[in-house]
Amino acid sequence: MDKILEVSVLNKSYGDFALCDISFYLPEGCITGFVGINGAGKTTTLRSILGLTNKVSGAVNFFGMDMAGNENKIKDRIGIVLGDGCFYEELTLLEMKNVIAPAYKNWCEQDFADYMEQFSLNPRQKINTLSKGMRMKYALALALSHKAELLIMDEPTSGLDPLVRSQLLKILKDYMNRGGRGVFFSTHITSDLEKTADMLIMIDGGQIVFQEEKDQLLDSYRIIKGGTEKLNMDTRGYFLNIEENAFGFMGITNQASHVMEHMQDVLVEKATIEDIMLANVERRKRDAV
Amino acid sequence: MLFSLVKKDFLIVKKYAGIMLLASFLIPPVMLWRAPEATGAMGFTLAVIFSIFMLTQYVALKEYQYPKATTLLCALPYPRKMIVLSKYCFCLIIYGVCCLVFGIDTLLFPRLGAFDIRMAVIIFLIISLLLSFYFPALYRLGYERTKFVFVIIIMASPVLFGFLFKPENAIRFEFLDTVSTTAIIVLGVMVSLAAFSISAAVSIRFFEKSDLT
Repeated sequence: MDKILEVSVLNKSYGDFALCDISFYLPEGCITGFVGINGAGKTTTLRSILGLTNKVSGAVNFFGMDMAGNENKIKDRIGIVLGDGCFYEELTLLEMKNVIAPAYKNWCEQDFADYMEQFSLNPRQKINTLSKGMRMKYALALALSHKAELLIMDEPTSGLDPLVRSQLLKILKDYMNRGGRGVFFSTHITSDLEKTADMLIMIDGGQIVFQEEKDQLLDSYRIIKGGTEKLNMDTRGYFLNIEENAFGFMGITNQASHVMEHMQDVLVEKATIEDIMLANVERRKRDAV
Repeated sequence: MLFSLVKKDFLIVKKYAGIMLLASFLIPPVMLWRAPEATGAMGFTLAVIFSIFMLTQYVALKEYQYPKATTLLCALPYPRKMIVLSKYCFCLIIYGVCCLVFGIDTLLFPRLGAFDIRMAVIIFLIISLLLSFYFPALYRLGYERTKFVFVIIIMASPVLFGFLFKPENAIRFEFLDTVSTTAIIVLGVMVSLAAFSISAAVSIRFFEKSDLT
């Protein structure tokens, strides 16, 4: 699979926060979820790879081209959704479109009109009268109307109700079916990723924790439940985190085979992406102490 | 691309464009009525300062209110350089409109005196020098801190002009009559363009180095 985005050793520091040696890639044909808790560095990473922040070191390659020397050429092939509040709200949808459309060489009025109709958006309506869900659909209409090959979205589902979120995820799938080469979206609502993502990248404290195919990732983690008497110095080492109470323990492990070998009569369940994310966050927190 | 970005600023201020047009039309005759010692040039200068700074500051306010909108523009294939240059073009267009409005004023109110290219260039020079400091300050310090500069300019202009043009304090500009019109035009335009070029280069540098939210 070709890499449509490759980030190598990206570093960026703010006062008390830094992205440290961020490296990952997006394979072509995949919806890639970028997960992490609030403040983990998702937005900073997206801003940095799009050249929206200053003093960044490292290499960012889109479609095999270096971002440093081909910024406008690359941005012409990317659709961007930055979440809520990224429009001048007193403008109408048509006026805002007229600001954005001339930036793109391949802008397609017909595509835009089709999306507006599909999303039941009125071009004469002012942006500040739209609901959150409608704004997100409008942002998508703008991002998808110039034959974008890659769609990058920052927290697109944040603050949306489940119905709109599920519609959005369907739009993403349709986009991929229509020939999109990739979707990269950050979120802390991991349930959205369970439904759509092919690949997952997790960031925490400005560092990449893992990049794995979703199915493989979900397959490698397990929730283990059992009595606390089964925990000892050795077995505790198999877990990323352990919660204990009077009735027993619950822990998440990515070494299920070892656990099964050394701990009998325990309950094994599949872990969700949220379980995996939180377990990794806790593990990292504990390791840092 | 530049045209679209300039158009964006006009779309943002469209609510106030009519009011500012009316103000730039009324300021020179009203000044002449309230302060007969004032000249047409003084009224025109005030009209230009008011129109340009009020509208520019309104755009800056909206960009401050919706910072992600600027981030989005920078995430599109718009070079940041173009975004900065569009601000200068926006002001130049407002200046052009003010010239046109003042031209109509002088036809309707002959006491304002004639509006010639000489006056247009001298006032363009004053405006370009003010903007040459204002825009780099805006890009470096942001809207919140720059709004005090704006308030000072807007509040001080009428007071300063009123003071300068009182007969006992009158500044004599007769020396300009000894300089040929061609020399004033060439020199005025050159200095204005130089000021704009340096200012734009500094503003672009500040904006390119800024972290967008």
